[in-house]
Amino acid sequence: MHEVSIAQGLLEIAIDNCKKQGYTRIDSIKVKVGKASGIVPDSLQFAFEALKTGTMADKSVLTIEEIPVGGFCKECDKKFSVDEAYVISCPLCGGTSFNVETGRELNIDEMEVN
Amino acid sequence: MKVKVVTNILEANDRIAAENKKIFHEAGIYVINIMSGPGAGKTSLLEKTIAEFAGKTKIGVIEGDIAGSDDAERIEKLGIPVIQINTGGGCHLDANMIRELLDDLPLKDLDLLIIENVGNLVCPAEFKLGEDMNVMLLSIAEGHDKPLKYPLMFQESSALILNKIDLLPYTNVDMEKIRKDSLSLNPKLKIFEVSCRTGAGIGEWTNWLQSFVK
Repeated sequence: MHEVSIAQGLLEIAIDNCKKQGYTRIDSIKVKVGKASGIVPDSLQFAFEALKTGTMADKSVLTIEEIPVGGFCKECDKKFSVDEAYVISCPLCGGTSFNVETGRELNIDEMEVN
Repeated sequence: MKVKVVTNILEANDRIAAENKKIFHEAGIYVINIMSGPGAGKTSLLEKTIAEFAGKTKIGVIEGDIAGSDDAERIEKLGIPVIQINTGGGCHLDANMIRELLDDLPLKDLDLLIIENVGNLVCPAEFKLGEDMNVMLLSIAEGHDKPLKYPLMFQESSALILNKIDLLPYTNVDMEKIRKDSLSLNPKLKIFEVSCRTGAGIGEWTNWLQSFVK
């Protein structure tokens, strides 16, 4: 619901990093968005396209990698991932003793600058 | 040229939230952030909570709403310091909004600051404000499917207050399912059942909260 402010934050961090490295143009930005982050990738993409106009990211391509919710089950000793935005039991053994390790990401991973 | 960034997009917010928290701690204030969907009874819970703490604990309130000052006016009648934030359409409060009004609050005179977030079950859970504890309010008439539909807020909260239990005879809500799913998402969640209308259960909640406030 607030993908515009997330896209704004993303642009600010990217532009800041680009300037710090001494470059003037951003060609691409890659972000990782966890499925449990509450962010809708399509909305983030749309907001980014609208906000990048007139900035040094004007011609940049945003790639969003969606990260599933996943973790490690302490009962069956295996890694797992699920389709939902939450996990209440291990999908492999049904156990309820597990650590959730992925799915909350909202990170800029890397970018290409020139 | 490829640049590895690896920065959390909410980093700026988290940084300001950490600064807010430091300011609150230095002033000796315990801060809770109350979140719920619209109409769950956040302001009613505040009114009841303030009444229970009257004369014991000095409370201040920040009211977050998309528009209007109805909630702040209700709190002001109780004679405690209150500040209204209007987000003008924004779906949540963020750390910077709290930061900007810190000077307007009598921090040195408060023991407990209650922030009432914008009514919304999704976004407020993602933005730290500088609080010590997140409290989630769910009115039972919203239905027992909410924990699994809005898992993040249940996971981010330390306490879940189930309000409007006086309506139980008129609904088909499965309270056991709410408890079971909420605890599956967050085994440490402390659950209270209250009615802000009748006052049932309010004492248990405020006694528990009191144990965190100096």
